[in-house]
Amino acid sequence: MIDYSAMLYDPVYAELGVEATLTAGAAAAVTLTVIDETRSKTNTQGGVEVSSVGPGAFVRIPELVAKGVTRDEWIGAVLTFNGRTWIVREAPVQGSPNGEDLGEVRFLLTKVAP
Amino acid sequence: MVDVREDILARLLEVVATIPNIRSVYRNNVNVDETELPSAVVLDGDEETNDAQNRPSKMPMIAQMTPDIIIIHQDPNVGSELDVFRRELIKRVLADTELNNLVAKSSPRGDGAIRYLGCQVGNCGWLRTLHGGFKANFMFKYALRPEQL
Repeated sequence: MIDYSAMLYDPVYAELGVEATLTAGAAAAVTLTVIDETRSKTNTQGGVEVSSVGPGAFVRIPELVAKGVTRDEWIGAVLTFNGRTWIVREAPVQGSPNGEDLGEVRFLLTKVAP
Repeated sequence: MVDVREDILARLLEVVATIPNIRSVYRNNVNVDETELPSAVVLDGDEETNDAQNRPSKMPMIAQMTPDIIIIHQDPNVGSELDVFRRELIKRVLADTELNNLVAKSSPRGDGAIRYLGCQVGNCGWLRTLHGGFKANFMFKYALRPEQL
């Protein structure tokens, strides 16, 4: 069985990953490597299209586990990377051929309330 | 030249622009950037007449125009904030003196009218934050006089 962590995620995160800070609840902030998945996004209301972004970030689940961030703490956590701070609103697990625990989670983000 | 339809649509845009906290107002622009929200867009409405009768072609006829007004916003409390915009929109359009004069003057026999027909609320979605909007429908009834166009 191919080790996707070593063959895929390690080089991808080494190349595309950026440093991030995650603060979950009252716990101390931890430093992570994330891939910025913020992309252009539009939404249509009554025929009028609004242009914006859908902010998101990929994080490796083994790294979250190693840093002591449990799954029930993901939603609502505050994530800072690339100069912006967001709140995690959804956290769909992406899975991997070696099992979801060795894969990624995609943090879907929303802006911090002013 | 008197074009009641155009006069109504132009005034409607002015009335919508008076709604508190609306950041941008457009007519027929269907591409808006998030930095312009909350935004209101007036879409020119369909026009129908009752002119199926057998009479001279240049005779005045009663026309009904149904423009749409779309208000879009993004905010964690987008639902309640859109309701505020809805309230302001309805009362400002129905109570506007100039709009009421436009339909009344065009129809001295009392056929002119402004009606709020209802609104369709779109599904909220996520962009940078929660995003939503509604489309309000109004009906303007006025006399269309071909000899004045």
